Amino acid sequence: MNVVPPALELLINDLSKLPGIGKKTATRLALYLLRRPAIEARNLAGDIYDLHDSIKLCGNCFTFSETDPCPLCADPRRDPTLICVVEEPGDMMAVEKTGAFKGRYHILHGVLSPMDGIGPAEIKIDALLSRIDRQQIKEILIATSSTVPGEATAAYLIQRLQEKKIKITRLACGIPMGMDIKYADDLTLSRAIESRENTG
Amino acid sequence: MNEKQTKGVVIKVTDHGESDKIVTFYCPELGRLTGIAKGAKRSKKRFVNKLELFSLLNIVFATNRYSSLVRVDRAELLQSHPAIPHHFQSYAGAMLICELLLNWSRENDGDQRLFRLLLWSLEQLDNQQSAAGIIIIFYSRMLGISGYKPQFGGCLGCGKLSPDVAPFSFRPSRSGIICRRCSPEKRIINPVAINTAKLMRLVAELPLEKVSRLQFSAASQAEALALLRVYGNFLLQREISSWSFFTTAN
Repeated sequence: MNVVPPALELLINDLSKLPGIGKKTATRLALYLLRRPAIEARNLAGDIYDLHDSIKLCGNCFTFSETDPCPLCADPRRDPTLICVVEEPGDMMAVEKTGAFKGRYHILHGVLSPMDGIGPAEIKIDALLSRIDRQQIKEILIATSSTVPGEATAAYLIQRLQEKKIKITRLACGIPMGMDIKYADDLTLSRAIESRENTG
Repeated sequence: MNEKQTKGVVIKVTDHGESDKIVTFYCPELGRLTGIAKGAKRSKKRFVNKLELFSLLNIVFATNRYSSLVRVDRAELLQSHPAIPHHFQSYAGAMLICELLLNWSRENDGDQRLFRLLLWSLEQLDNQQSAAGIIIIFYSRMLGISGYKPQFGGCLGCGKLSPDVAPFSFRPSRSGIICRRCSPEKRIINPVAINTAKLMRLVAELPLEKVSRLQFSAASQAEALALLRVYGNFLLQREISSWSFFTTAN
């Protein structure tokens, strides 16, 4: 006998498709929504319903935005000649939170991952190259993660960008702030030594 | 929970939820081993810089009576291959090797020879040796270890490997080559030149320390890669995603 009403079961199934949410968490969330006033569930449903209609990709940097160009690309105070290339919109938010970067962004929406069938054509690399041709870009800061696929994507980008007459920089990799170097792993420490700064 | 320890090479990493990672290793005794590393994405001590593709690790893990997914508790980095991601062809080759291993290996079925071959291939790619050559060596020898060694000693019909019966066709269903005379069809399918057949025989037979000295012409290399792809896909009954990426990169 099925003890779960069909509508609730449908919601549990849909919620469990979300990343990081299993059947148990989905059930807990569905029951929570059921216990709350109906208006809250309607508002949530309305927000989800409007999501794809109101948010699009910015035609310039490919971030999620309600406007095209996005507020960052439209901001005249940002340096239009400097582009920071990141993997995902979340990475852009992390860089933006530092307040240290005053240029614009380009979101690749992924990294090179052959096992998942993601090659150069599947991420926004060609769009970046044509953007460099169209706009007067002077520097590209590659800010992909220092994981193997992130490094491979950066290396591929550097190879493709070499033909353009622009400055190419990569996020520095080394010891985190506040860390005792005795506890740093060999690879990070050796990368930190390789990319040491001249302070004299 | 039963705590164990083994060496293993990371052949696949996927994010799981907010902070966990699912990691697949190839181990000399245990074969393919998949584990969950809790909190690995945020880890600043236990897993930082360790659960990266192609790394050789010493892992401590706990088994579970109800699932083949183990819990990875600690990892010690024994050897990394930092140059591979910086060279597009090497990266494409290393990823193809990992995907081939994922498809050809099984749980609780390790093989010391395959483990040594994997480490040797990754080292060669890290030293920026020809990725196409390494793939030919890796895949041919892995097929041999798995019991699917293709036959290049001579035609499966008449046994000859001479210019008068050339050209040869590679037949995946018969795991070998057939000469023009013995072939029931007039059309040459999966063509194999005599030089390619001889090279493939050497690739499978020479010791590892000598095999890297073999020189492939561009034509032999292309033929060898094409027939390995066709043969592997025939045996697995599926396409390996990384092949097309590798072909583009090379």
